[in-house]
Amino acid sequence: MTRSRKLGIAAGLALAIVALAAGQHSLNASAKGQMVRAPRFEVDPMWPKPLPNHWVLGNVIGVGVDSRDHVFIVHRADTFDAQKEIGAAQNPPLSECCVPAPPVIEFDPQGNVVNAWGGKTTGYDWPESNHGISVDNKNNVWIGGNGTCPAAGRDDCPKGAVDSFILKFTHDGKFLMEIGMPHQMVNSNSKTSFGRVAKISFDYKANEAFLADGYGNKRVAVIDMDNGKIKRFWGAYGHVPSDSNLGPYNPDAPIAQQFRNPVHCAEPTPDGLVYVCDRVNDRIQVFKKDGEFVKEKIIKPLTKGDGSVWDIAFSRDPAQKYIFLADGKNERVYVMDRQSLDILTAFGDGGRQPGEFFAVHSIATDSKGNIYTAETYEGKRIQKFVYKGLADVPEQQGVVWPTKP
Amino acid sequence: MQRRSLVLGGMLLSFFGAAAAAQKTARPKTTAAKAATTTSVQAPVFEVDLLWPKPMPNRWILGSATGLAVDAHDNIFVLNLTDSFNARTESGSGTNPPTGECCTPAPNILEYDASGALVGNWGGPADGYVWPTSNAGLGIDGAGNVWVGGAGAIDTRILKFAPNGRFFAEFGNASQQARGAGGTAGESDTSYGGVSPARPAAGAAGRGGRGGRAATPPLPANSTSLSMFGGADGFSFDPQHNEVYVADGSRNHRVVVLDGGAGAVKRMWGAYGNKPVDAEVTPYVPGGTPSKQFGSPVLCAKYSLDSLVYVCDTQNDRIQVFKRDGSFVKEKIIAPQTLGTGSVWDVAFSADPAQKYLYVADGMNMKVHVLDRQSLDELTSFGDGGRQPGQFYAIHNIATDSKGNIYTAETYEGKRVQKFTFKGVRSVTKTNQGVVWPATPGKKP
Repeated sequence: MTRSRKLGIAAGLALAIVALAAGQHSLNASAKGQMVRAPRFEVDPMWPKPLPNHWVLGNVIGVGVDSRDHVFIVHRADTFDAQKEIGAAQNPPLSECCVPAPPVIEFDPQGNVVNAWGGKTTGYDWPESNHGISVDNKNNVWIGGNGTCPAAGRDDCPKGAVDSFILKFTHDGKFLMEIGMPHQMVNSNSKTSFGRVAKISFDYKANEAFLADGYGNKRVAVIDMDNGKIKRFWGAYGHVPSDSNLGPYNPDAPIAQQFRNPVHCAEPTPDGLVYVCDRVNDRIQVFKKDGEFVKEKIIKPLTKGDGSVWDIAFSRDPAQKYIFLADGKNERVYVMDRQSLDILTAFGDGGRQPGEFFAVHSIATDSKGNIYTAETYEGKRIQKFVYKGLADVPEQQGVVWPTKP
Repeated sequence: MQRRSLVLGGMLLSFFGAAAAAQKTARPKTTAAKAATTTSVQAPVFEVDLLWPKPMPNRWILGSATGLAVDAHDNIFVLNLTDSFNARTESGSGTNPPTGECCTPAPNILEYDASGALVGNWGGPADGYVWPTSNAGLGIDGAGNVWVGGAGAIDTRILKFAPNGRFFAEFGNASQQARGAGGTAGESDTSYGGVSPARPAAGAAGRGGRGGRAATPPLPANSTSLSMFGGADGFSFDPQHNEVYVADGSRNHRVVVLDGGAGAVKRMWGAYGNKPVDAEVTPYVPGGTPSKQFGSPVLCAKYSLDSLVYVCDTQNDRIQVFKRDGSFVKEKIIAPQTLGTGSVWDVAFSADPAQKYLYVADGMNMKVHVLDRQSLDELTSFGDGGRQPGQFYAIHNIATDSKGNIYTAETYEGKRVQKFTFKGVRSVTKTNQGVVWPATPGKKP
């Protein structure tokens, strides 16, 4: 364990104690529309550094942080307007700019590109639409995918689905393992393959990976981190998952007894819980690690379309006191108390300036408590929000720009 | 040419690196930037203001920005396309019924003060005039009045408003022809993002991009018309003679000069001062014989204090310079290898009395070229592609304020207005400066 890590934990502990003491106060204040005590953040407008080689990012669809606080992103390198956006990648080139960056990029803590890799190759399948990136405690990199066939009935896509597998790489992109077979039909009870996995997270103690499965399937799937074998799975409320079509989300309808697509995150915690993003149903469901349902929290239930619960990250104090929830539809990050699941405050707003969002899709924290966000659609950005300690903040902070020094 | 080869070389390397899967380390320094280092020149230097403008109220977001001008008080006017949003992913609170709490299209015209605070907003369809189907081009005359063009397939008009948005006049009223062409006034031409409707995007702009609604059949070009315009895209003003220079435009291939009061057409010309014609535009070929006519679109016609007119012949990668009467003076090809939409989207003059420098917005190469206005030699350039501060996606317009600061507007999915603070004329060694961030990391400039 490095010194900085120890310090980080000590600081985190102090943070947790202070926060605990402030807890009741902030609840009362919140009810009166006053300031609340919560972790405060400021966007870093100059992170990351400009990419080399006229590279540009497509839909940024995953973010993860390794043990050295290097930030990994995965983006869709095929989500550009060929004429307007990546003229330099055409044959012949139309312009000096721009070129799609490789799908996986590793940044150091200062925001420099230190590695870039990924994409279709021989030897293993690359997802039709890569989705989600996570770095485990051995610094291996896991990637899911939510692609379907570009055209139904194509020779190389006989069953109408493609990304029914996940990939595991070394830190530097050397292929390690493909788990599940490509081209499998949606089947939320499959013991061999997946249904367009959105994100992968880890329980190191049990050596298990938790899969948000996904865009085709409607389940959480738990696998062995070494051999990839599916150990167990479950649907909403811990039900046996069903693939019946629930139709579009309707805020006025009875609450759904199954997940809707996509199941967008499944995050285990050291205290034995799993937090699941049921994105379109606008809810977080909490389970024990065996799939037993604990509780749920509805977030912005009037949100239709893509839904409100896109991804979550935990604060890095040992108690993981806070949840940071990315809401790519309402364009905010909510800061929640993890125990009560109450929203303490929110920051962000829609737009293309620093600290604003267009479809904030993924979220991660580093050892210092900083937040990283990834934007999909035409957001096409990775942003860093610097942790500034606990502070009294309003319930709606809006765009969190740096305060003047 | 050498620089370009290196860029392409780097590109190929990166592609091969990706294909070889995994072992290649990205090169944080581009070889092109190193190779481009030359002897130093004196040139105006800029830094992007990371925090300008201020976030808008009401969960408003900016659409594709297609017009930009600075008034006498250094207030900044921005024109944007309020129908350039993806309803499903982008404007959830602007749909009926709403699907989320964010976001709502801001009004077509936004006025910011120098601090970046939004101090005015107006524009869009109203009684008494016909708003363009695809507003493009915004100019502010000597009296502070705001002129707005339209580049939509059936847009033939130019509108003139008071600074607060009170309607004054419309010129080029050909609404009957417009309606007869198959569109109704106010119908959107969403294939258009600010440049030529003749060359819409190939396919949708990726996941979450705008879907391709069928474009309205365009009206034919008529570059000698005295009664209407063919997609007027840019304006500038000669207060001494009360004249307006119009880049006309998206369908037409001319500069047209209007009387600033009555809006009557006084004179017009094409490339080299030729009589404008609407023959089919030949594709631009680098190194080929320069076209005898303007391509499509003509995006700017900027009148200088020493009575010259600088015209953006976008597709042909060139600036042409004329006298007031349309007699040709000279031309300059910018980034001559540029294909597609072309390299010359808009120009602005430096704020010194001699207007010593000319800034060229290049929405295809994602940068700003800094030229010596007299020689038209390129001194340096700044910017690169991307979504961070100081980067560009399709920089469509450029303007300067009285302090010499530069403002830029981005169309398509750029959807931003940015400010570049003038830091004085300094020694510059790089022909391409890349992204011009403030020198002190983490601090507001």
